[in-house]
Amino acid sequence: MEQARNYVCTECASAVPSGHKFCGACGAGVPADAQTLKTLFFGALQMPGKARLIVIRGDEAMGEGLSYLLQATEHIAGREADQIPFPSDTWLSPAHANFLYRGEKLVVRDQGSLNGVYIRIRGTAPVQIGDHFMCGQQLFRVDATPKDTSGPEADQTHFYSSPRRPSAFRITQVLEGGMDGIVCCAREQSVEIGREDCDINFPDDVHMSPRHARVEMSGETLELVDEMSQNGTYVRIRGERELSHGDYLFLGRNLLRVEVTA
Amino acid sequence: MQKDNQDHYKFCLGCGAELPRHSSKPRSASVATPAGGAPSSGRTTNAPRAQAGRAEALASAPELEVEESAPVRSARVEPVAAVDPLPPELAPLHDDTAPCPHCGSRVPDNFRFCHVCGEDLHARASSDAPARADAPAERVSAPAVAQAPQPATVRARLVLIEPDGSEGPAFRLSGGRTLIGRSTGGIFANDAYLSPEHAEFRFEEDQLVVKDMESLNGIYIRIEPEVPIELFDGSIFRVGQEILRFEAPFAPEPPADGTQYMGSPHRGYLGRISLVIGRETTGNSHPIPPQGIHLGRERGDVVFPEDGYVSGLHCRINSEVGHVFLTDVGSSNGTFVRVSSESYVPQGTFVLMGQQLFRAEY
Repeated sequence: MEQARNYVCTECASAVPSGHKFCGACGAGVPADAQTLKTLFFGALQMPGKARLIVIRGDEAMGEGLSYLLQATEHIAGREADQIPFPSDTWLSPAHANFLYRGEKLVVRDQGSLNGVYIRIRGTAPVQIGDHFMCGQQLFRVDATPKDTSGPEADQTHFYSSPRRPSAFRITQVLEGGMDGIVCCAREQSVEIGREDCDINFPDDVHMSPRHARVEMSGETLELVDEMSQNGTYVRIRGERELSHGDYLFLGRNLLRVEVTA
Repeated sequence: MQKDNQDHYKFCLGCGAELPRHSSKPRSASVATPAGGAPSSGRTTNAPRAQAGRAEALASAPELEVEESAPVRSARVEPVAAVDPLPPELAPLHDDTAPCPHCGSRVPDNFRFCHVCGEDLHARASSDAPARADAPAERVSAPAVAQAPQPATVRARLVLIEPDGSEGPAFRLSGGRTLIGRSTGGIFANDAYLSPEHAEFRFEEDQLVVKDMESLNGIYIRIEPEVPIELFDGSIFRVGQEILRFEAPFAPEPPADGTQYMGSPHRGYLGRISLVIGRETTGNSHPIPPQGIHLGRERGDVVFPEDGYVSGLHCRINSEVGHVFLTDVGSSNGTFVRVSSESYVPQGTFVLMGQQLFRAEY
């Protein structure tokens, strides 16, 4: 007893070789899916991707330790994404970020998300006015010093202002829900953030290092400096950013590690 | 004449007499819009307001929610202790009472104000001015209609307090309207922080009232220690040399796709205080967590180590039943609240205008 080695015609039970559109014996049509036989990948395991994302710290629904192989050319991550879904993270836009290959390089692109994509800085990173960054559980924005509006009136009445000091820039804490929290105007040329003894302190943020990061004016440009913090300092990317092995990304509440294998 | 006073009013709508305050007790959350007009969005204080024509206008106004347990009584109520409406927890206890010098009601020792007539017992007790001690029923006395008409001469004085704390010259206020500003000369002429027309003083019955003539820098009134003053969005107050603005929580509307704004965790901030460094400009800000904050030069959640006019621990901001209050905790130089448009100036109150500090005496 042997199994038939070909597709068997449903009309006359003759063997029909692969690729034939009609049965050679009776002329009956062969269904489309039987005409061409191809092997599909069994899950993602058959072909190692060029890179993968590992969820280091995720929302409860998705669990931690999950990894996503990036083997297509584009991979959308988001609250309603098919490829890399984080359905319970309300800080993610429906389509939040796109992990795509450009040549041999893996790139992450912010898909116009509300809250952005944050990448862990290695040492020092340049920042501009309006940039956002994260330390511990805290989110900050780099703001310009507003124009001085304390000059005298036309009638020579002087404005009584609180004592002021020159300040090159300011750091604004952004609270969950979008409200601004702490504002700290730079004294001298820098603002330091940490758990204690800094310019902005978060004694009850357990993910903050004692001295975590600082923003400083270096010549004409601003720099974000991670002070060897335990959990890192993350800056929001503008547009897209090339990724390399060992990069860490925050997408909403999810911390992801990038592993490039190829 | 009896008026329905809301429980956040410090003074009777009908006669201007001070009402009992419930400073240590949560206030009603049901206080909707103040009957005298909603607090202006610009700058607001809880300093007592004098509303023009308030008595007539409000007598016919629909009654707003009145806190049931609040012993808000008109100062015109005759002193009849038998109809005392105090809730049990506030009822006089045994012998820990003293007669009100104005109406004779038995008032618990821990009350600052007579619960029947609103007499300010603290001002009387702490007064070291012998003239006032000798005339106990001067301020909240018989109804105005029964008063002998007073001569329209000097009814009050603004005594300048020199930087060293000594008393300087006094500026006299008549019973009519008195405009003060840089253009009115005298002791005001050289104060560059006064607008040409800065403030107007007048009397309403026996209460001195100050009106801000849309001045640039405003008028500040010193609040009493341990008497909470409610803060509204935009309320401005002064601690030492620092001008601070209270900002109610404001969050942008999240997008319709269900995404929430990401940010630092917080558990319901009450708002924040911001240092005013320009007309439309603030400097450092600090959010106020649900448990409140203290401000001081050395102690507290927000410190001003470089301002020698701020006391070590100066004031606090906290919340009671959804309302936010500012309380001076016994600072040396006081906490001053900016007058939103008009305010009563109780006898002995310190008033800050421009660079100068005055004490109102009448």
